[in-house]
Amino acid sequence: MLWLASVGVPAAIAIRLATVVATIVLARRATACRLVALGGSILASAVTVSTAIHALVAGGPLDGVLLRHAASGFALSYSVTPLSAWFLMVFGLIAVPVAVYSVGYFAHSIPPSRIAVVGSSFNVVLGAVEVVFVAGDVMTFLFAWELMTLATAALVATEHEERASRQAAYLYLVMSHVGTGCLLAGFLTLAAASGSLTLSSLLGGNLVSGATRDAVFALFFLGFGVKAGIIPFHVWLPEAHPAAPSSISALMSAVLITAGIYGLIKVCAFGLGIPAVGWSLTFMGLGTLSAILGVLYALTESDLKRLLAYSTIENVGIVVLGLGTGMLALAYGRNGLATVAIAASLAHVLNHAVFKSLLFLGAGSVAMQTGTRRLEQFGGLLRRMPWTGLFFLVGAMAIAGLPLLNGFVSEWLLFQALLVGFSATPGLIRLNYPLCAALLALTSALAAACFVRAFGISFLALPRSIAAAEAHEAPRSMLAPQAVLAALCLGLGVFPGAVLLALRGVLASLPGLEPSAALAWGPAGMTSPVRSFDHVVPAMFGVALLGAVVAAAVLAARPGWAIRRVPTWGCGGELSARTEYTATAFSKPLMMIFSAVYRPTRQVEAIAEVSPYFPHEVRYRSEIEPTFERYVYGPLLRAVLHVANGMKVLQAGSLHAYLAYVLVLGVLLLLWLGGTT
Amino acid sequence: MSMTADVLRAFAFAVLQAAALLALAPLLKTAIKKMKARLQNRQGPPLLQGYYDLAKLLRKEPVRSETASWVFVAGPRVYFAAAVAATTLVPVLVAAAPLEMAGGILLLVGTLALGRFALATAALDTGSAFGGMGASRDMTIAALAEPALLLGLFTSALAAGSLNLGGLVRNMLQHGVTFHPSDLLAFAGLFMIVIAETGRIPVDNPATHLELTMIHEAMVLEYAGPDLALVEWASALKELLYLTLLVDLFMPVGIATTAAPAAIVVALLAWIGKVLVLAMAVTITESTNAKLRLFRVPELVSISLGLAFLALAIRFL
Repeated sequence: MLWLASVGVPAAIAIRLATVVATIVLARRATACRLVALGGSILASAVTVSTAIHALVAGGPLDGVLLRHAASGFALSYSVTPLSAWFLMVFGLIAVPVAVYSVGYFAHSIPPSRIAVVGSSFNVVLGAVEVVFVAGDVMTFLFAWELMTLATAALVATEHEERASRQAAYLYLVMSHVGTGCLLAGFLTLAAASGSLTLSSLLGGNLVSGATRDAVFALFFLGFGVKAGIIPFHVWLPEAHPAAPSSISALMSAVLITAGIYGLIKVCAFGLGIPAVGWSLTFMGLGTLSAILGVLYALTESDLKRLLAYSTIENVGIVVLGLGTGMLALAYGRNGLATVAIAASLAHVLNHAVFKSLLFLGAGSVAMQTGTRRLEQFGGLLRRMPWTGLFFLVGAMAIAGLPLLNGFVSEWLLFQALLVGFSATPGLIRLNYPLCAALLALTSALAAACFVRAFGISFLALPRSIAAAEAHEAPRSMLAPQAVLAALCLGLGVFPGAVLLALRGVLASLPGLEPSAALAWGPAGMTSPVRSFDHVVPAMFGVALLGAVVAAAVLAARPGWAIRRVPTWGCGGELSARTEYTATAFSKPLMMIFSAVYRPTRQVEAIAEVSPYFPHEVRYRSEIEPTFERYVYGPLLRAVLHVANGMKVLQAGSLHAYLAYVLVLGVLLLLWLGGTT
Repeated sequence: MSMTADVLRAFAFAVLQAAALLALAPLLKTAIKKMKARLQNRQGPPLLQGYYDLAKLLRKEPVRSETASWVFVAGPRVYFAAAVAATTLVPVLVAAAPLEMAGGILLLVGTLALGRFALATAALDTGSAFGGMGASRDMTIAALAEPALLLGLFTSALAAGSLNLGGLVRNMLQHGVTFHPSDLLAFAGLFMIVIAETGRIPVDNPATHLELTMIHEAMVLEYAGPDLALVEWASALKELLYLTLLVDLFMPVGIATTAAPAAIVVALLAWIGKVLVLAMAVTITESTNAKLRLFRVPELVSISLGLAFLALAIRFL
């Protein structure tokens, strides 16, 4: 296995490159092209996972060079640190099922003429993300980062006839490039201070100090925050994620987001020295804000894929809250506590990737069968798509943070960190912890409401449209990956200690953390850093719960009696999809309660011929205010356009004027340079 | 080997305690009804009425909607199982929870959320508008109550230095149960949440079937026979569980620290007395308040959240 690990990264990249070439060569033969593109990506992802697992077990960085230009000394180098290995493992665990699912999904949902573009972009994205995680120097990192952005934009614009898709791709590109610009500025500042371009020397944490350090932090936070989708840098996310084909959406929400989180951990939390208190509070504040607003927006969303995209923002918020908690602990020198918080974040990265990709794949199957993404058009799908429904339910329960599933595990760890943090922090600042804990509790309870709605309205009761009534179960090749992911949700939920044991090496590699603060309690249990404070063994409780379910079933069983099936009472009318509770109605009470956030507007128009009391048509329109788009990005956009407009004066279209600019600039440069020598 | 024996003993204890609480839960429900009736100068039902109702429902023919799927069947069973499993995490007579090895307050709250998730999802399964309405309202109130509930529990847990209910009670007894003004605030906050979570006036009216005001009852409107029996029984058990939780957190005096029969008897009497006092408080709250509009409930919950924060601030600053 050792030889495999040492060539694992280049091998995976080489397979991806070969796959891209083969995909383009086979562009005319859609089936072969699709199979080669996805087969190659599965192979490469499998190589990546085995390399990552090897690096996690062996510990210590695994360095190498991807490409070297001997004459100029230019090289693209890689370095698989334990942190990269963790993200690579998460990436591979998701990329393989997503690719398997895509075999069936692409055949149905991507027109043959586009399969080559989609297939090759798919591989380019995966390869680029891999390189982002293992990049050893700034050049490699930024090159891969940019490649990842461009290829993803191509995937978002797959259905480019649709105006919404084009706009989503454009918004994504613009925001990502603003982010990349910030990263470039940040890296250049660090590189100027260090004189080297390798990440390990740039991120030693002792290059800059004082205000420069704060400025560099802000640049990186903005740059990575855009990619991670932290509110207020999130506006591209709910547009771009749903616009892409569903399996790509799964990849974006589960894996691409983690590239931003990887950057936040590697640079902002551990690459710039001991974090300042202000940074940590920024992380905690914006993390909590993202969590709570993300779930609130998800709750009222009636487009299933947009709902999932907003829920991604929520989960990123939870991860960032964990990071902030860890950073604050580091700032106060409470390294044991920081270890718990960072472990919670890293575990949540894995857990979120698993259940979110599962949910997106389920949503993709449903959208493929019904031809729509609107919750109000689904209904009764559990009967027609029993397996998809079951897997979606598992994902919904996991994301709601219910025990025995994986969402509970990371939220449990985060609560421990917040509570221990409260006991361990001096002064008024400690009240920050219970505040965040209360908001985290609210987030997870709202997520439960959100996913009761998403599952119940889509899969239960009567079909709400003809398309939903005529849906069929997805093919087995699309169900199998969902089954694997659902099993992972359960497995990670029952064996949380195993995840923490795997994380030990990662935590040990991060400066300042003390993995000796044992969190794992065997493979099946977890404990608080103060062992007497709390612990949990889900498996043991699972036995009790299962026993109680059996007891309930026996208690309520009436052997010998046939169950009488009767129609549901339709309140005197005929029971139909129109008498069912709608998704809009379900979230209405919460929308009214949180109206300060949503600022809903509604219009009711009754069209009557004879008397207003007998309308023959009622038109109802309700929308929530897009706060950030309207009040943050609107003015920003107008300001940019205004400045651009003003600059038109310079761009007069006259060749003489342009030559004059060149001359003036040349003279000025000569004066400036002459002055320095 | 002794580890296995310990686990087996824990499970035996768990089964015993869960069965005992299950057996007593209908009695608590009827007792509250009875006390409420007495306050209104009525006789009220006989004390055993809760058992008669359950026995009747369990014997009835199972009737289910044509439109419902397996989720509708699973709902009450998971709800019941969650309530039963939750009892194993709470100390009742002895200062140890049967399955405290498995987890503490966070697992307890998570388990109750699991039951609620199952029942609310199942309510959407029949296609009746009532189910959806009940599920929507129940999840709304639960979502608002959750932060206040957890914060209230955290206050006690931080004061006692353990988030595990067994350890929490033992720590409190060890340090000597002392009164702190913040306890009063935390108790008031949690009591309000217990009222909300158990579907009592002023949040929900357990006696109504008026379509516009139902919450919990709307959610389970389509259930009949044995399915309904499970829901009713689990709701009663949940109420007993919440009251026991309040007893554990704020007045653990009298709970047995050894397995000596005399200590157990004292603990039993003390527990019954304390639960009855709390039941009386619930009755008085129900009898002296009118049901709040749904959109006034957030105010109640924010008051509770505010009290919990205040308790935390007074205690630790």
